[in-house]
Formats: sequence, structure tokens, C-alpha cells
Amino acid sequence: MMLQYFENLESGINNAIKENPESASARKRYTIEIARLGKRLYSDTDRKAWAGALVPFDLLNTMGVTSCYAEFMASVLVSTDIGMELLENAEQTGYASDTCGYHRAIIGAAHKCLMPIPEFLISTTSPCTGGQAVLENLARLFKRDLFVIHIPQDESDQSVNFLADQIEDMVEFVANHTGSPLDKNKQCKAIENTNKAREVMSDVYNLAKQVPSPANGRDLSNFGIVMPLFFGTEAAVEIAQFYRDEFKSRINANNSGVPGESLRLMWLQNRIQFKNTLVKMLESEYKAAIVIDELNDITWDPIDPNDPYVGLARRSISSPLHGTAKRRIKHIIELAEAYRIDGAINPCHWGCRQGTGARGLIDSSMKEIGVPVLNLEVDCVDRRNFAEGQLITRIEAFMEMIESHPSPWKK
Amino acid sequence: MYYLGIDIGSLTCDAVLIDDNEKILASSVVPTGARNHEAITRATDEVLRSACISEKEVTATVSTGYGRKRVEGRLTAVTEITCHARGIKALLPGTHLLIDIGGQDSKAIELDENGQVVDFAMNDKCAAGTGRFLDAMARALQVDIDVMSELDNGAHGDLTISSMCTVFAESEVVSLIAEGVKVNEIVHGLNRSIASRTLSLIKRIIPDIIGFPIAMSGGVARNSGVVRAISNALENKVAIPPMPDTVGALGAALIARERYSHN
Ligand code: SF4
Repeated sequence: MMLQYFENLESGINNAIKENPESASARKRYTIEIARLGKRLYSDTDRKAWAGALVPFDLLNTMGVTSCYAEFMASVLVSTDIGMELLENAEQTGYASDTCGYHRAIIGAAHKCLMPIPEFLISTTSPCTGGQAVLENLARLFKRDLFVIHIPQDESDQSVNFLADQIEDMVEFVANHTGSPLDKNKQCKAIENTNKAREVMSDVYNLAKQVPSPANGRDLSNFGIVMPLFFGTEAAVEIAQFYRDEFKSRINANNSGVPGESLRLMWLQNRIQFKNTLVKMLESEYKAAIVIDELNDITWDPIDPNDPYVGLARRSISSPLHGTAKRRIKHIIELAEAYRIDGAINPCHWGCRQGTGARGLIDSSMKEIGVPVLNLEVDCVDRRNFAEGQLITRIEAFMEMIESHPSPWKK
Repeated sequence: MYYLGIDIGSLTCDAVLIDDNEKILASSVVPTGARNHEAITRATDEVLRSACISEKEVTATVSTGYGRKRVEGRLTAVTEITCHARGIKALLPGTHLLIDIGGQDSKAIELDENGQVVDFAMNDKCAAGTGRFLDAMARALQVDIDVMSELDNGAHGDLTISSMCTVFAESEVVSLIAEGVKVNEIVHGLNRSIASRTLSLIKRIIPDIIGFPIAMSGGVARNSGVVRAISNALENKVAIPPMPDTVGALGAALIARERYSHN
């Protein structure tokens, strides 16, 4: 069923582009690449692994392992017709209904035999302990080996080396399971691709910072967290280039992502993964553009292709979701200033400590720089917990509030 | 010129008509019921009749409340947060914190010196501690909602209703009655529970509220027992404007006047 879903997704977009070549947007090309990854995950031919969000996918791609973090598949599954059934299934098997919906969806899908059986699993202990537990559950269910990467919470040399050693061990673990050791030349090429993708993604983000921004609220949604799945491949470079070209041509033609952009917003952590009208409503009624998502940023330096493990370790630790709330807030404030935002929306996804734990601190720190934050209480995955009317009232009131208070950058 | 504000809430539909000098000419409060359009027509007809004005003479209408987008012929729809803030600015200028408890929402709204909204927080996930919650509790106690506001007289106990889920709170109340706890103590407990929930909402936006001018609007502001409990919890006086349930509709009418003149 999921194989069919991804085939239809790819062919649907390809046909639409064939019929109208003008409609070939970067977002569509990016979605085609996601569909291809989905097809490979559900094919009978590829070697597969389920992984944690911060696993170095560059290395797995190089070693011929099609891999994906399980939460990504959850976000795809909940946008299909069977999404709610999967969540209910997880609850029937004992998952509390207020735990993170991504994890409920994964467990429900696994019990319904909708998660392909992998050859092995690789988890990361941070930023999400819930995700770690889910992979442990899947490993037991599928009776497969699990390699756990312990992610340290600070960027000291000692922590970086500790993680680099584990990445090296992971490569050995993968080689033992696939029977093929890592080809150093291929690794070198893959890291060069990663560095190229990094550079172009950086350009894309810098273009999105322009006022008005060439980005609308949908262009780059989930971009920063999904792109690492393609790291190490040429596809990652191409997708980023499509975006860069598209943003450049919008800027050259004086077109902004949201025509007549009047308010600029930041979205914290996760987007809402199922279909909803909120982003469209922001754009059409308030000319408000989500110009930056918290996770759309390059926080790491280029990686040495000849000695990549230290660089890969630094990249994983650099995620602002590790460590103290102070570190995360510092990053949010830097983004707020760089993108000159008027307000931020924190969905405070149900059951997520990342989404809710620091919300008061984020609020007060942003207030100090004159940028208000709207805290919603929304389940980004489970539409049964989605009261659209209530959310619209909160968002509209927030828009009315920021319309009447110029942001620090407009004063 | 005349301006109409309509606030379509979950329990009541309120209308306020003002003139060019911002003078309130008429106001009405009717039950919303299941059919929003009928309630809107009734509330509008009532204010027009009472002010002896025809519909054609209304220069602009602004709607608010959860049914705000269902009002035909409106100049615009504005959320209840902005409208309540605008209404209280006219009635009790200088208010720094506005508590609005309506049928299914409770809100804490922080205002600046110009009466503009600078922050707000709303109840999330459920309607506990709102008008509907009180309705359900009045049913459980088998008393009329209108008399409930004085039913806490003479109660001094520290009973609180621990469950905030309306259904569970209802059974808690029934159990307390069965245990022989006096009705005034139960009502006092309910009021204290609402007050503590309201306090948490307020603290999310203003951690230190001592000495701030505070007002309350919305239908629940008519319940003096709840207002007393909130005032005690805040250790602060809570001012109640005349006709607290029409503050949102008044704000909408004032915004209609401003936007029309601005356009
Ligand atoms: S939303 Fe939170 S709990 Fe859920 S997967 Fe992400 S970090 Fe983990």
C-alpha cells in the first residue's frame, strides 16, 4: 500500500510537470526525491535501516543502505487516509494517547505491518528519548540488532571525539551486517556532496532572509530536518540548487513568496503534518509569511572528506535541540534577528518535552528583544486533537496583536 | 452614523449599537442556540428596535466571537481578544489586565497604556472553568445558574474541586452532595477552582500582578462569587464594567467606527 502511495506521488508530480512545465517548482522536485526514497524503503530490493534523526545518513547512503528516521515515515503516514487508524492502533496496544503522535503512528504502523522490516536499526539518544524508546521497541518487534549512538550534550573536544569514535563503530556495525566495508573513495565523494549541499542550503537560507522574503510558508517546511536524509548524494545538492535558483529568480523578478508580505513569522520546532488551512489563512488574510523554521539552519562547518568522523560528530552535536534550553534560545534569538521576524509561533506539540519544556523561557527571552511568541497547544500529528476553529482564533488574535505593534526592526 | 458590533459566542449572541460619538444606544444579549443566523438576526433586531433605527441606517458592522465569520454584510471580523480589549479601554480606561471568561473560553489579556493588546493567553484543550463548566455544575447542584453567584455566602472552608474535567467535576460535586457537604461550601470550592485556573492563565503572561489595574468581562463576570474568588486569588481588586457580557460587542462596534472612518 505505501509503495503504491509513493509511486502515485512521484508519477502524479511528474505528470503535472509534463503537462505544465512552468509548474516545476523546487518544492515539487524535493517531493519527488522524497517519493523516491519512500519507494526504495518499501521495495524488496534495497537494504534498509530505521534510524534516529541525527544519524549520519551520508555514511549510510555511501554504504548502500536506504535509511530514514522513523518520525519522518510517521509524518507521511499520518497524512494518508489510514493515519488515524494507526494512532488508534498504537493506543490499543498500550501507548498513552498523550505521548508524541510521531511515535504512536510508528508503533501503530509497525503493528499493522506498514513499516518495512529493516536489516538493522541505529538510534541516537538525543534530542528525543521517546524516539530512542521507539527504535528499541521496533528492534524487539522485528528481532533486529540496534546500534545506539550516545550523543553528548556539549561541544567540547572530548565529547566530539567520544561521538566520532561511535560513528566509526557504527560504520563497522553496518559493514558487519551488509558484508560490504565502507569504500573510502566513495566516502570522500559523499562528504564532498554533503559540503556542497551545505553551501547551497546556506545560500538558500540567506536568500530567504531578504525583506520581502522569496520564501512562502510552505516552500521550506520540514526542509532542514528532511534534507539530511539525502546528504552524501547528488540529489541533496540538486534539490538545494533548485531552491536557490527559484529564490534568486523570484528576487530578480521582484516577487516575494507571499505577495505583499507584511508580517514575517518564525515557526518553532515541528510543523503540523496533516492537511490544514492555517498557513494559507496566514498568507491570504494577513500577508504573513513563515520565513524561517527553527530547524532550517546550518549550524555546522564543512566536513573534512579525508577525515570525516570528527566533522560528522560536530555536526550532530551542533543541533540546537541538544543541551540546555539556554543554548536553544540563543539560537532562536539569532534567527529572529537575522530574519527580522515580527512574531513566532510555537505549536507546543503534545507529548514533546522539546516543544513544551522550554516554552516559558522562550517566551520571556523573545519578549526581551521585542518579539512576541504565540504558544498553541496542538498535536502536530494527530488530527483528532486538532480544534481548527480554536486555533484560528488564537492565531488571528496574535496577528491582530502584532499588526498593532511594530517589531523592533520596523521602528 | 451608527455602528453595530455583534459578538457570537458559544452561549450568547450579543449586539451593541453606538453612534458617531461612541455613545451606546442599545445593547442586547440573546441565547446563541443551535442556529447562529437566527441569533444574529434576533440580537440585531433587538438593538435596532430599541434604538428606533432601521438596518439601512447602520453605517458599518464588525463581528467577533467564534461565529464572527457567519455575519453577513460585515465590514470585517475581528477576534474577541482585540474586541474585548477595545471595549474595556472605553469602559474602564487604564486597565492593564483583562480577564474574560465566556461560554467556552477563558482569556487573560495584557494591555499597554494605550489599551492595545501586548500579550494574551487562552485556556487550552478544554472548556473547564468557563461558562459551560458553571452551567454543568449548576445542573449537578440542581440550582439556577443565576442564583449560583450568591450561593457561596457564609462559606469559609478550603474545599476545592480537584477535577477540572467538566464530567469528572460533575461527579465530584454529586459525591460531595451525597457526603452531606453544604451547597455553599461546594460552590465556594468551585469558585476557588476557577480562580486558581484563571491565576495560572494570568501568570503565563504577567508573572507579577500585584497592584495592576485588573478588570473582568464576559458572562461569568456577572457571577459575583467567581469574581470574589478571583480577586482573593490575585490579592487584587477586580473591576467589573457595567454589562460585562457585552464588552466584546461594544469593542466590535467601536472598531467598526474606527475602521469605517479610517477607510
Ligand atoms: S516531537 Fe518531540 S517527542 Fe516527538 S519525535 Fe520530535 S522531539 Fe521527539
